[in-house]
Amino acid sequence: MSSLSASNLNSHNRGEVAVSIKNLNVVYKTTLEKRPTLKNRLLQFSSGKKQTRIVNAVQDFNLEVSYGSVLGVVGANGAGKSTLMRSISGILPPTTGRIELYGSVSTLLALGVGFSQEMTGRDNVILGGLAAGLSRADINNKFDEIVDFAELREVIDAPMRTYSSGMYARLAFAVAVTVEPDILIIDEALSTGDAHFKMKSLNRVKELRGHNRALILVSHALATIEEVCNEVIWLNKGKLIQKGDPVSVVAAYKKFLEVGSSPMIDEDV
Amino acid sequence: MSAIDVYEPFNRGLPPLKKYAKQLFGRRAFIAEFAKSELRRQNFGSPLGQIWLVLNPLLLSAVYFLLIIIISGQTDSARYAHLTAGLFAFYMITNSITAGAKSVTAGGRLILNSAFPRIMLPIAASVVELFKFIPTLIVLFAIHIILGLPITFALFWAIPLIFIFYIFSLACAILFSCINVYFRDIQNLLPYLTRTLLYLSPVLYESSALTEKLSILKTINPLYPMLDSWSRVMVKGELPFAADVFQSLIWTLALLAISSYLFLSREREFAVRI
Repeated sequence: MSSLSASNLNSHNRGEVAVSIKNLNVVYKTTLEKRPTLKNRLLQFSSGKKQTRIVNAVQDFNLEVSYGSVLGVVGANGAGKSTLMRSISGILPPTTGRIELYGSVSTLLALGVGFSQEMTGRDNVILGGLAAGLSRADINNKFDEIVDFAELREVIDAPMRTYSSGMYARLAFAVAVTVEPDILIIDEALSTGDAHFKMKSLNRVKELRGHNRALILVSHALATIEEVCNEVIWLNKGKLIQKGDPVSVVAAYKKFLEVGSSPMIDEDV
Repeated sequence: MSAIDVYEPFNRGLPPLKKYAKQLFGRRAFIAEFAKSELRRQNFGSPLGQIWLVLNPLLLSAVYFLLIIIISGQTDSARYAHLTAGLFAFYMITNSITAGAKSVTAGGRLILNSAFPRIMLPIAASVVELFKFIPTLIVLFAIHIILGLPITFALFWAIPLIFIFYIFSLACAILFSCINVYFRDIQNLLPYLTRTLLYLSPVLYESSALTEKLSILKTINPLYPMLDSWSRVMVKGELPFAADVFQSLIWTLALLAISSYLFLSREREFAVRI
């Protein structure tokens, strides 16, 4: 198994600010249909039906994440977790507010790496890396490590449409963690793959934490959150409900899931 | 310690342009690598694939030449050269529109997972079509020599004209890539649009054959002055009309400005629309 080489890492002190989010609001407009078409738009226009909706995905959000910590993010579907991660990564910039990043970021937000199912795993790793801003030399240096970590050497030159979903996830995870980011953001990716790869992924996350990286981990796997995170935030309908140590936040979130409401949410409403 | 990256609200819907241009330039290796991977995927990396790259438009021009012979009875060699030169250039533009239209929606996973200037996707798609066009120039020059067409210094005008064709193709690719995010069925309309453009452009006929009644086409069809200039240079070995070159440039720059503005003002939404 590959491991992080300490000599290659940028040094950060534990407790130094890695991510600072101030007064963040993210609003976007989206269509009501999954695959918008001109035909449907014309039909809806003539019938006077509403075609788009405004989503207030993240509201008045403030947060700081430090180096050497793993921040867990929990919340029900539609809580705004993925939008928050996309905003931190620069994929969906803020509507108001400011996000400051004090290091390089690597993201694993959408399952699967790269660009095209028709292209080979090798081409996708290279294109994904170049798009994320890595140099060709960086990718070449890391390529073998990525392939070995993903355990996909035999199929790396096959088109990615021939990969299983587990192989897809393994390659994506390997790319995200092998580029030695200062800040790593993972959204629902640790639960993919088989038991062996899950364990390997979890160990890599712990290893990054040990090297004073900053990690943000979105997951519905509450046991994993409790195991690896130093701090957890709970989001609901775009708002920060609770922030604190993993045990107490996860317990409050579990209670909310059981009864469907929480004093904190009710108070907020 | 100063922040390495700061994300703030876009100003009037546009990303910070200086930072955007810097990031785009920094990712030029992606565009080159994408073109190489895409050409390899389409088998143009192999000798047979390269032969097909040239054979395909040649067969197409042969079919259209047959049509011209049947309809008008004309069989002169200059007519064939005009048709072939026009078709090669026309298909670079329309292939760029088709590939560009799919470029953003096809890059879904990349868009959902990474922050990068989205405009590099249609740029990469149009560069692939430019790379596919370049080998056909060798065929055009071979036809030029075989048919004994005039070889003059005016042939050097091919270089700026190809540059105009490419920038126009790029502007179209950017425009349709953005439209396709909002209307996924636009791809179904593209064959009709490109076919109409072909008939409205001086490819299957020469500009001199256009009646006075239809001369409005010279003004309203952006491809008209470009393809007419191309034929004058590549077939007759004559200089293009300055007015045609000027009109082509105005069309190209205007379309590039409009399509780039439209794309940049919309690209924030792409991650939630794909």
